[in-house]
Amino acid sequence: MKKLVALLMTMTMAVSLAACGSDTQGDTGSAAGTSQAAETTAAGESTATAPTEKQDVSLTMWGAEEDQALLQSMIDSFTQHYADYANFNIQLGVESESTAKDTILTDIESAADVYAFASDQLIDLVNAGALLSIDTMDEALQAYAGKSVADIESANASGSVEAATYNDTLYAFPMSADNGYFLYYDSTVLTEEDVASWDSLLAAADAAGKKVGMTLASGWYNASFFYGAGFTTGLNEDGSTAMDWNGTADASGVEVVQAMLDIAGHNAFLAVADGDISNQIASGALCAAVSGTWDATAAQNAFGEGYAATKLPTFTVGDQQIQQGSVAGFKLVGVNAYSQNAGWAALLAEWITNEENQALRFEQREIGPSNSNVAASEAVLSNVAIAALSEQSAYGVVQVVGGNYWDPTETFGEMIAQGSLNRDDTAAIQEALDTLVEGVSAPTQ
Amino acid sequence: MSQVKKGLQSFFCAVGGFFKEFGQAVAKGDLFVKLSLIWMGAGYIRRKQFVKGILMTIFEAAVIWFTLGFAVEYVPKFVSLGTVQQEAVFNIATMQNEFNDYDHSFMILLFSLLSFVVWAIFAVVWLCNIVNCYRLQKRSEAGLHINTFSEDMKEYVNKKFYVTLLALPVTGVVVFTVIPLLVLILVAFTNYDQQHMPPSALFDWVGLDNFKSLFSSGGLTVTFGYAFGRILIWTLVWAVFATITTYIGGILLSMLINNKKTKLPRMWRTIFVITIAVPQFVSLLLVRNFFANNGIFNTFCSGIGLTGWLRDMGVISTSYIPFLSAPIWAHVMIILINIWIGVPYQMLIATGVLMNIPTEQLESARIDGATPRQTFFHITMPYMLFVTGPTLVTDFVKNINNFNVIYLLTEGVYTTTDQLMANSQAKETDLLITWLFNLTQNYYNYKMASTIGIVVFVICAVFTLVAFNRFLKGDREEAFR
Repeated sequence: MKKLVALLMTMTMAVSLAACGSDTQGDTGSAAGTSQAAETTAAGESTATAPTEKQDVSLTMWGAEEDQALLQSMIDSFTQHYADYANFNIQLGVESESTAKDTILTDIESAADVYAFASDQLIDLVNAGALLSIDTMDEALQAYAGKSVADIESANASGSVEAATYNDTLYAFPMSADNGYFLYYDSTVLTEEDVASWDSLLAAADAAGKKVGMTLASGWYNASFFYGAGFTTGLNEDGSTAMDWNGTADASGVEVVQAMLDIAGHNAFLAVADGDISNQIASGALCAAVSGTWDATAAQNAFGEGYAATKLPTFTVGDQQIQQGSVAGFKLVGVNAYSQNAGWAALLAEWITNEENQALRFEQREIGPSNSNVAASEAVLSNVAIAALSEQSAYGVVQVVGGNYWDPTETFGEMIAQGSLNRDDTAAIQEALDTLVEGVSAPTQ
Repeated sequence: MSQVKKGLQSFFCAVGGFFKEFGQAVAKGDLFVKLSLIWMGAGYIRRKQFVKGILMTIFEAAVIWFTLGFAVEYVPKFVSLGTVQQEAVFNIATMQNEFNDYDHSFMILLFSLLSFVVWAIFAVVWLCNIVNCYRLQKRSEAGLHINTFSEDMKEYVNKKFYVTLLALPVTGVVVFTVIPLLVLILVAFTNYDQQHMPPSALFDWVGLDNFKSLFSSGGLTVTFGYAFGRILIWTLVWAVFATITTYIGGILLSMLINNKKTKLPRMWRTIFVITIAVPQFVSLLLVRNFFANNGIFNTFCSGIGLTGWLRDMGVISTSYIPFLSAPIWAHVMIILINIWIGVPYQMLIATGVLMNIPTEQLESARIDGATPRQTFFHITMPYMLFVTGPTLVTDFVKNINNFNVIYLLTEGVYTTTDQLMANSQAKETDLLITWLFNLTQNYYNYKMASTIGIVVFVICAVFTLVAFNRFLKGDREEAFR
């Protein structure tokens, strides 16, 4: 009996595990079919001649859950636009951009042909051979979409192209430029001068009895101080991260850490756990917070009339003010290297990221575009959060790091947040930095 | 130990006896028995067991078909785990990618293993087949009755009913436990990791390298050995405390509820069982949020001044109480929260056992003038331990692998400040199993995860064997009768 129960348990476990992994099934219910984009067809008419016999092409595409209706309308316009060349059967599935890598690397061969992902996953995806080089699709793009890879590269912001490029090869189409962070603040509490530097920001917040929230325990957020001071990260041959602490930096690593400790140790500073910032903004205890466009609604609700956003403040090292940097993140659309119909998959990926569809995406979902023309449109410029993001993007860095970067930097941020380093003990700070570098530069396994 | 020795002895005797009979069969068998070496159905058909003969022939054909059509593609590559790297060429005319016939290391590993299992089963059946045919030959020479197929089948619901009963569980264990376990063991000897991810890259055998880097510092990262030691210690500490606290808590609680002076025992019991009814996913995540750095409980503590007082005492250095975010605090909290989760289960078990304590013993103890304390330590506890001993052992093993509680309580809340731990993707509250999960899920480090998996398996297996042999000897039963 016991054995039978054990067997059943194993089977239920296997089934439930399978169920966990299968939240990517095709979404049939959201065929909104607005197909507006079809009317605003791309200027470049296709130069390829319609074949006598149309191919049957089936593709699968994964996108974020919130975007399903939008994506379905883009698929509809795509099938309509290319109806002369092939019979399409395109399945749409749900997979968040932030977790795309984990799902795809589990089984690349059965992953979707076209998928959206956050730009920090690009290197891992390329190394695992999950992304098709867009450069090899140049001919197909020219023949059917009427634009070359170079056209696509010049149409999008240079940072987004940089983030989609690895080893001089373009591996994905830039879709949006909204994956960065900046400062939300309540303008009824803080003035524009207050938010210019951390010193005045924290002093004003303290005076008002409120707090300033930022996530420190994450290599994505806490790198902003180091990037601001001129440090760089890069990737080594073996997949480990190279950190350049000396290059063109304005200050030593120890000095930057001391500045971070000053900020983190301030009474008005609240170190927020990664992913918890929305709750903290909503709680009403904050008058300013470092976060991204995904928290725009939360900030709007919390700050009400005073809702405002701007670039990150400067921080003090010795007697100089250093502008805090940031990580410029993008969302990209890639093509699976194991896609059977690679050519049409690339065209679909191009389609959902072209100028018209980026404009549509902003219109419906307020997602900041990577396309330069759309980004320069009036509607985009008047959006508070996206305007602040593009203001900060001048100091943004495309973060090129390996897999072993995240845990050591998270721990380092937590040490600063908890104040476990002593500001005046420079030897201990240097040792902690050395251990950090040792961790991130260990070869990826 | 003598039991184990005896067991091994009889096992090898049985195996030896079987092969002796097999040798006899081959030497003394008639033409058809010898023909069975090649054509498995021959011996049966000679004795007019046609159905069996045909079934055996089909089985043999199926295995040959499997070998030639399937295994032959993978098994020869087992030694190298594949040599052909994936390559693709884009064809503009068809708009399709054309792939070469590339090798997939993991498929080679998995399907080779599957082939080995199939062949092992075939070998056993083949050996048994010859012996059976020889037995049939002897029966027919002695003029004894030879079973028809339907008579044979009837045996499986009568004399050999245990075979029928065990068939399904054994198949299940082989498919769901043995094969995955063997794959896991094999992966530990390869370099299957993020740099060698099939299908785009091949992986290879590396011998004992992974074990070396787990048990010594040096090797892959500087600190794997360090992290392993810390996590192993916490895993064992956790398993001991989690098992003992819930066990004793459960017994005390059930005695409290069963006490004659307690009013409404059923209501109390139901209230405690409700914690079982709420899924752990819900309750643990809620508790995690209660005790988070900026959670309700911390707001409350700083409201009543406890946080400030602790900071003045120098116990904490942060502006919150790090219930789930600092080493010792989190360890204690996890064990405490686990008591709340685990006690109701033990209470149910203990209630059942307590109700079955022979009343004569308790009564005679009372007449002899034993205090309730004495009764508890000399009658109730020994009886409890005797009856629930096996569950105690399984609970301990279960706690070594208690993924839910640890993962749900610390994921996203606990950030280690030990840089050496962070450098090997571990944290102080990790059990071996959650560390393993993190390595596979976030770092695709399958080789180290498999290595850790083997270590966990060995620890659990050794503990279970020793525990069952030592304090669960069957001969203690008389003490309670």
